[in-house]
Amino acid sequence: MHQPRDNSSPGLSRRQLLRGGGLALAGLGAAGLLSGCGGSAAASETAQLRFWHLLSGGDGIKMAAMIDSANSSQSAWHVNPTVLAWGAPYYTKLAMASAGGRPPELAIMHAARVPGYAPGGLLDPWDLDLLAENGVTPEDFAPRIWENSQVDGAVFSISLDSHPFILMYNTEVADKAGVLGSNGQLEEITSPDRFKEAALEMSKVTGQHGLSYGYLNDGAQMWRMFYTLYLQHGAAIELVPGQKAKVDRDVAVDVLEYIGSLLDDKIATASGDGGTAIAEFAGQDSGMIVSGVWELPTMINAGVPLDAMPIPTLFGTPAAFADSHAFVLPHQKSLDEQKRRDSYAFVAALLKGSINWAQAGHIPAYQPVVRSAAYKELMPQAHYAGAADIINYDPRAWFTGSGSDFQAYFADNIQNVFLGRTAAKDGWDSFVKRLDTLLSKPNPV
Amino acid sequence: MSASTSIRSVSTQQAPAAENKHAARSRRDRIHGWSFMAPFLLFFGLFLIWPLIHGIVMSFTGKSLTGANSSFLGFANYAEALGDVDMWHALGNTLYFTVISTVPLVLVALLMAALVNMGLPAQWLWRLSFFAPFLLASTVVSLFFVWMFNPQLGLVNEVLSKVGIAPVDWLNNPDIAMWSIVIATLWWTVGFNFLLYLAAMQNIPQAHFEAASLDGAGGWRQFFSITLPQINQTTIMIVILQVLASLKIFDQVYQMTGGGPGGTTRTIVQYIFETGFTGYRLGYSAAISYIFFGLIVVVSIAQFAITRKRSA
Repeated sequence: MHQPRDNSSPGLSRRQLLRGGGLALAGLGAAGLLSGCGGSAAASETAQLRFWHLLSGGDGIKMAAMIDSANSSQSAWHVNPTVLAWGAPYYTKLAMASAGGRPPELAIMHAARVPGYAPGGLLDPWDLDLLAENGVTPEDFAPRIWENSQVDGAVFSISLDSHPFILMYNTEVADKAGVLGSNGQLEEITSPDRFKEAALEMSKVTGQHGLSYGYLNDGAQMWRMFYTLYLQHGAAIELVPGQKAKVDRDVAVDVLEYIGSLLDDKIATASGDGGTAIAEFAGQDSGMIVSGVWELPTMINAGVPLDAMPIPTLFGTPAAFADSHAFVLPHQKSLDEQKRRDSYAFVAALLKGSINWAQAGHIPAYQPVVRSAAYKELMPQAHYAGAADIINYDPRAWFTGSGSDFQAYFADNIQNVFLGRTAAKDGWDSFVKRLDTLLSKPNPV
Repeated sequence: MSASTSIRSVSTQQAPAAENKHAARSRRDRIHGWSFMAPFLLFFGLFLIWPLIHGIVMSFTGKSLTGANSSFLGFANYAEALGDVDMWHALGNTLYFTVISTVPLVLVALLMAALVNMGLPAQWLWRLSFFAPFLLASTVVSLFFVWMFNPQLGLVNEVLSKVGIAPVDWLNNPDIAMWSIVIATLWWTVGFNFLLYLAAMQNIPQAHFEAASLDGAGGWRQFFSITLPQINQTTIMIVILQVLASLKIFDQVYQMTGGGPGGTTRTIVQYIFETGFTGYRLGYSAAISYIFFGLIVVVSIAQFAITRKRSA
C-alpha cells in the first residue's frame, strides 16, 4: 500500500532528520574549535616559541637534544621545534608563512639564502644591543661568517656554524699508500697532479677507487666541488641584477676539465651518486672522500680509521665552499616583544652550547667554543677547523644559496661535462647564459 | 495509484489553498535543493572557480611569493613567457613525453586485455596483477624505479649484465632518461587502460564471434574485424584520457630525475612549480600555467572534433 506523503505528520521526516543532523554536526564543529582555542590558551604561563628548522638525520637528533637541554635549563620559555624537509620546500614554506603573516618566532636558514630573503621584508634584523645583553657580540664570530651575516648594513642572520666542503681520508689506506706525512696526517698536497697521484696510490691499496665523490643528480655536490677549486684560482663570480654575470671563463673551464679528469673510474667512479660515494668510503673501498662536514658522524659510526682536513690547496689560493646554519627572525605582523627577547636568550644558549653541535661535524661559529680546550681535543673536527678562515658563501643573488634553483641549474648544465658527454666550455657557457637570463628578469625579492 | 488520486481530489476541491501550499512547497524544495548542493558549490567555488579567476588576475601582475613588486604589468608576463627558451624547452619535453608514453600505454593495455580475454586460466589473477601497480602512490613507484635503475647497484643493470649487455645509465643519460620515466609510468598506470579495454572486450556479444567462426574467420581476422571495431569508442576515450594525463606529468619526473640530466626531463608543470614556488615569481608562473591551460584546451577541442567526425 502507498501512503500519500504528509509533511505535517508527527513522525520525523527524512529531510527534518538530515537538517537536524547537519545542525548538530555544525554545532559539534564549532564546539571543537572553541575547545581548541581554550586548550592552547590555558596551557601555561611559559612563553611558547615556535622554531622551524631543516635539520634531519644525525643533525636533527643533535639539535633536538640541544633544544631539550635549553628548555630544561629555565622555565621562562619553551621552544617547540618544527622540523621540515631540507631544500626548496622548506624555503618555500618559510617564505609563504612569513608573507602570510604566520611565521614562527625563530627559524634556521642557510646563511647564503638570507640575501634572497632579507630585502623583501620577510626577515627582521637582529638587535646587537639585545644580543650583547645575552652575552653575544660580533667579536665572538669568525670574520668571514660575521661579514656574511649582513645585508645592506644590518645583521639578518646569526650563524650557529659553518659547514664547509672538506676532505676526509682513511688513515690506514693513506699509510699503506705512503702518502702520510711525519705527523700522521695526509702529506701537504699543493698541485692538481700530485692530488691525482696520491689518489691513484690509494686506489692501488683499496683495489677499487682512490677518491669517492658523489655528484650524480646532485647539483649541490657538483657546485661545492667546482666552486672550491674555482676559488682556489683566486677567481670570483659576481651576480648583479640587470647585468651579465661576471665570471672567469678560462678558470671555470680548467676546473671543470680537472674534475672531469678525476672521474676516470680509477681515481673516482664516473657513476657515483651521494649514496654510492658514502657507501664506498664507509666500506673502505676508497681512500678519500670529498663531502660536507655533516657526513663525518656517518663515517665515524662506520668504523673507518678517519682523519679530515680542508680541501688541499691545489691551485694556489686557500679556499673552501661553505654555508652556515643561521638563526633568523621571520618578520612578525604584530611583534610579541617578550617572545622576541626569549628568542634571543634561546639563540645565545645554543651558541654557547655549540660544542655539542661540533660533534655533528659542523664548525661552531661562536669562537669561544672553537677556542675551548674541549673543541681542540675533538678529533678529527679540530683538524679542519681552519677551514672556517677560508670559507666562501655562494655568490650573492636572490636565486643562489643552498637548496636553491641555482644549484639545480648548475647540475642541468654541468653533469654532462663531468660525464664526458659535453665539452666543458659548452656546459659552462650554457650555465652562464642561464645566469644571465635570471639576472635579466625582474627581481621578485 | 491511491496517492495520485487523493492529490488530484484535493486539488480540485480546495484550489486556492492547495495552490498556496503547492507554491510554498516548491519554494521549500528549492531551498532544500540548494542547501544540499551548497557544500559542493562552496568547495567548487572556493577551490576551483576562485583560484581560476585569481590566477588570471595574478598572471597580469608581478606578484611574488615574498609579496614584493606586485604591480600590474598587463601582458608583460605573457610576452616574457613566449620568449622564454626554458619554457619552450619544458613544453617540448612535455609533448615528447606525451607522445612516447601515450602510444605504449594504449597499445600495451590493448595487448594485455586481448591476452587476458583470450581465456587464460585464472583470469582474476591476471587482472589483479596488471592492475595492482596502479594502486601504488607515485612516490613508491618512483623509489622502486630509482633503485632498479641505479647504475651500480640496480636490478635492471644486474639482469642486463647477466645476458652480456653493457650497463645503461638509465636516469643520467640525456637520451635515455625520458624513456626510463616512460617505462616506470607504463608499469605504473597501464593497468587502468587495461581494465577499460578488458571491460569493453567482455561486452562484445559472443554471437559475433560464433557467426564469424562459422564463416571461417580465424583468430586474427576476428580480432581486427570484430574486436577492434567494437571497442573503438573505448579506444577513443582511453586516448583522450591518456593524452590529458600525460600532459600533466610531474610526480615521477620530479622524484626520479628532478628534471635532469641537463633539464632533458623538466616538464612544464615542474617549470611552473619552480618558477612560482622556489623562484618566487607567482605572477609569471601563473602566466605560464595559463599558456599551458590554453594548449590543453586546444588539444581537447581538436581531439573532440576528430572523434566526432569519425563517429558521425
